[in-house]
Amino acid sequence: MMTSVLEPMTDTPAAPTRLLSAGPAAPGQEAAWTQFTKIPMPTRTDERWRFANVKDLDLSSYLPPAPVDEAVREALLVRSRGLEKSAGRMVFANDQLLTREAYSEELSRIGVIWLPLEQAMIEHPNLFQQYFMREEAILGGQKFATLHASQVRTGTFLFVPRGVEINLPIEAFHWLHGDNASCFPHTLIMAQDMAKVTFIDYYESADAEAPGLACGVNDLWLGAGASVTYVCAQNWSSKALAFQINATVVGRDARARSLFAQLGARHLRTESVSHLRAQGGRSDMLALTVADAAQEIDARTFQIHEAPNTSSDLLYKNSLDDTARTIFSGLIRVNPVAHQTDAYQKVRNLLLSDEAEANSAPGLEIEADNVRCTHGATSGQIEQEELFYLMSRGISKRAAQKLIVHGFLQEVIARLEEPAIGARLTEMVQAKFAAHA
Amino acid sequence: MSTAELTQFDIDRTRGDFRYDIKHEFDAGTGLTHETIDYIVNVKGEPDWIREWRHKALDVFLSKPMPTHWASKDLENIVFGNIRYYLAGGQKASRSWDEVPEDMKRTFERLGIPEQERKFLAGVEAQFDSEAVYSNIKKAVGEQGVIFCGSTEGLIKHPEIFRKWFGKVIPTGDNKFSALNSAVFSGGSFIYVPPGVKVKHPLQAYFRINAENFGQFERTLIIADEGSEVMYMEGCTAPKFETATLHSAVVELVALKGAKIQYVTVQNWSANVFNLVTKRALAHEEAEVKWIDCNIGSRLTMKYPGVVLKGRKARGEVVSIALANDGQHQDTGAKMIHAADETTSNIVSKSISIGKGRATYRGLVHVPKHLKGCKNNTECDALLINSTSRTDTYPAITVRGTGNSCQHEASVSQISAEQIFYMQQRGLTEAQAMSLSVNGFVNDLVRQFPMEYSVELKRLIDLEMEGSVG
Amino acid sequence: MNSLKIENLHVRIGEKEIIRGLTLEIPKGEVHAVMGPNGSGKSTLSKAIGGHPDYTVTQGDVLLDGESILGLEPDERARKGLFLAFQYPMEIPGVSNANFLRASLNARQPEGEEIEATDFYEKLYEEMDKLEMRREFTARAVNEGFSGGEKKRNEILQMAILKPKYAILDETDSGLDIDALKIVSAGVNAQRGSQTGMLVITHYQRLLDYIVPDVVHVMVDGRIVRTGPKELALELEDKGYDFIKDDLAGAA
Repeated sequence: MMTSVLEPMTDTPAAPTRLLSAGPAAPGQEAAWTQFTKIPMPTRTDERWRFANVKDLDLSSYLPPAPVDEAVREALLVRSRGLEKSAGRMVFANDQLLTREAYSEELSRIGVIWLPLEQAMIEHPNLFQQYFMREEAILGGQKFATLHASQVRTGTFLFVPRGVEINLPIEAFHWLHGDNASCFPHTLIMAQDMAKVTFIDYYESADAEAPGLACGVNDLWLGAGASVTYVCAQNWSSKALAFQINATVVGRDARARSLFAQLGARHLRTESVSHLRAQGGRSDMLALTVADAAQEIDARTFQIHEAPNTSSDLLYKNSLDDTARTIFSGLIRVNPVAHQTDAYQKVRNLLLSDEAEANSAPGLEIEADNVRCTHGATSGQIEQEELFYLMSRGISKRAAQKLIVHGFLQEVIARLEEPAIGARLTEMVQAKFAAHA
Repeated sequence: MSTAELTQFDIDRTRGDFRYDIKHEFDAGTGLTHETIDYIVNVKGEPDWIREWRHKALDVFLSKPMPTHWASKDLENIVFGNIRYYLAGGQKASRSWDEVPEDMKRTFERLGIPEQERKFLAGVEAQFDSEAVYSNIKKAVGEQGVIFCGSTEGLIKHPEIFRKWFGKVIPTGDNKFSALNSAVFSGGSFIYVPPGVKVKHPLQAYFRINAENFGQFERTLIIADEGSEVMYMEGCTAPKFETATLHSAVVELVALKGAKIQYVTVQNWSANVFNLVTKRALAHEEAEVKWIDCNIGSRLTMKYPGVVLKGRKARGEVVSIALANDGQHQDTGAKMIHAADETTSNIVSKSISIGKGRATYRGLVHVPKHLKGCKNNTECDALLINSTSRTDTYPAITVRGTGNSCQHEASVSQISAEQIFYMQQRGLTEAQAMSLSVNGFVNDLVRQFPMEYSVELKRLIDLEMEGSVG
Repeated sequence: MNSLKIENLHVRIGEKEIIRGLTLEIPKGEVHAVMGPNGSGKSTLSKAIGGHPDYTVTQGDVLLDGESILGLEPDERARKGLFLAFQYPMEIPGVSNANFLRASLNARQPEGEEIEATDFYEKLYEEMDKLEMRREFTARAVNEGFSGGEKKRNEILQMAILKPKYAILDETDSGLDIDALKIVSAGVNAQRGSQTGMLVITHYQRLLDYIVPDVVHVMVDGRIVRTGPKELALELEDKGYDFIKDDLAGAA
């Protein structure tokens, strides 16, 4: 083995540079980095961080994304298991593209642009300019959105032109590998008028126990009459700190549907905003959370009705075990112009342990006429009668509980109306139950 | 006598909008400093412990920021330096209306207070600016050992009961305005109901602001001893002034084991009053506290009556009606802190926004660790009348552990054009149709008010609806 | 003079013209039926006469006992003696039937006068008995949670109490089973008389078996295309609306 004479030999490698002292990922991201360093860390007194354990958010121990070697690459590709049938997939590890595979001819149809983000930035600068992180993070996570903007290296760029329908889902896998590793997954989907697409992001850690940082952004843009279904199956390691920031912009008569399945992470903060920007638009916002151990799952949502005759329907369901905490803070806002709005918001918490804690803050701000808005929040536990009924049929208490929780979460999955994806999500939920002693 | 004169509660806004030019003998001047506090203590002849307590509270008030990070920015329009903090005539509260100075007596007569006292009240306290000018309790009630007097008299004459609970339910530093009240409080009621005594008729306080650039800071403390029952009602009015007036009360209720307290408020301040009130109750074992709160007047009201459910099986309830018209923001709600097993709480809130009015509900429900059998039910319904009206709902619910259940539901609705057309087709005018619908919306809550108030409430709502259509 | 007269009426909803030159006169004491296929403008006619703000009259007139009512608010028209029995009666949460009816009656009294409660309830119970309605109904909110049949009975009850000069019954038979139809029809028939004119709007002939009209009008595309005796309704039932349409096509 040759060693360059110019490189001094060292017995101990130099201490690795931490993320916080590494600066931006590339020269073009300096502005975002400067912003990131200027914005203070959130404090408890900030209404947008009410209930959250902000001391959990320390970023100092994480390392910038580092490439994985060939053996890891092979192993992760094998582990990237999604749906039986999909139109194509990209697999990333530590923000490095491992593979891009198209299985369906639909993707080569004229005009569909499905590229790694960094490639799209060069080949389609106008689209990139027009849509990349154009909606500001308004729910309190601006610091983490700017961190993402300063660090993002790759991700999915998917542009579906007018009238093109992609019938099979497209998938992306984002892996986090190594202790204290970080990654910044990005998904940007633009569906032009009357276009249709279904997309799934899978977030996984190579080591289910390794500490790490994930800070993702997924933005959805829907033109007139477009239909986009977006699913994020989040299963980071149980020691990961994770952020996920979403903006969905819904055009005239368009229909957006999103589902976040939150299984992993020690502390997760998600922010999801639907802008109902033009008449007739509709957004369904779904989430299911299976929280156990000491997990804190903090979800903030915003349904902004910016035009008349729009509708939104949110359903978030949390099951909480052990000392898990969940926070749901959601707001429906109906702007003065947005008459004839239909907006719903429902959060339901199922507490399975005496140490679990569910916080709910569903909000309404209504300034328009002829509006139908309701919200509801419930927190409760498994009814003894229900449990008894199942046990009287010979099912063990533990199994009966799991069955009931499963049924509780199933309502969310069913709302997606995508049986294959639903089955995969159910599998993942079951796997988490199975892992929980 | 015409029917109009027979109406018992003449406290609608137009009727409250009059004033007599009264020169107060004692005036602490404008602005708030430690000297203001010494002035108030000296005039009132209070003991040293309260002087010290007030000075400390002022420091807390000055150190606390305005809560504008969550509350309305309109709070910034309060100029504390322009307000007069104490105005009084120096006389003791009379036991007889005949001894009340003429203009003050005429004020309360126009508001119908002495008449109501004769008809259905067990006792009345009438506060004019900073001090009560009249305070009386029916002989039979007094003989049962019920104490009903002003806060100053309470702290001087009954220190053994007063000091035990004063500032314990709402500590000085609870919020900026509770600190302000603690520093400069004057007036309000002190009530003690001995064990087992059930006061049949309501006790009533009436708060009147007459002076301009003035702040009213009454302090009420009600203690219902074991197994006792009491209902307290308060009403309030002020004339319309050009400048903003501040009303910032603190009300503490203590319901000991098995006691029941009902506290009824019909707030009808004129539209220049900042009404920033802290109200909280402590409910011991099997006690019941019910706040019935109706906000029709004021420019900005911020008030979230609360119950700390401290004893097993304690029960708390807030029934709230808010009506926000042009230039008004009714920021109201409820807090329920569960701190013992099998405690239950219930919140029903209905708000109506008219014209450019804004109604906000803020709620807090807290069920901490290891409690069993706690239940909360919250229902908030908002009605929007015009396309310029606004309504907000901001509940916050924290539940820990299994064995408890919380439910929150809220809805926003309008009176539809089709509904109005249907009623018009039966011959009702648009305004009549609107009034009928609005009364229908709040009907189930109004029924929970004492009879005398529910009649008046309906009338007030009709009055507010006039001119709101079109 | 003693009639509800509709002259060359043109009505638009938004930009769309629905009624296109309709002429009709209902003398006091007579019952007229308007029949027509779906979309012919039947419901628009009743709403427009009632003064619903979404319907714009662009031409023509509506005269109640010789006086134009087009410039009047809906409630003013009602107080002149016009009554609409709605196809879909509105629910009014929180407002009891008794309160609603009293408020409606009081609106017809001279300023400052009110109906005596005892008189009111006596009359109300009498009419309710005729319609086989139970007493607890008075305390229920207007139409809230009512079945289709209960809603329609409620409309007829209101008509009986308010005693209009002219009543327009819009698809009163819709949502009624045969038993309910008989009760409602009997309620309507009881109110027939020399002081009342009625316009019964319906899609089906079956209602007219129970409320027998003096005159039948057929409405197609916003106009009355044929007028005849009650037998015309049977002919329509027999041959369907197409025969009229074919007729019209032939004539054109």
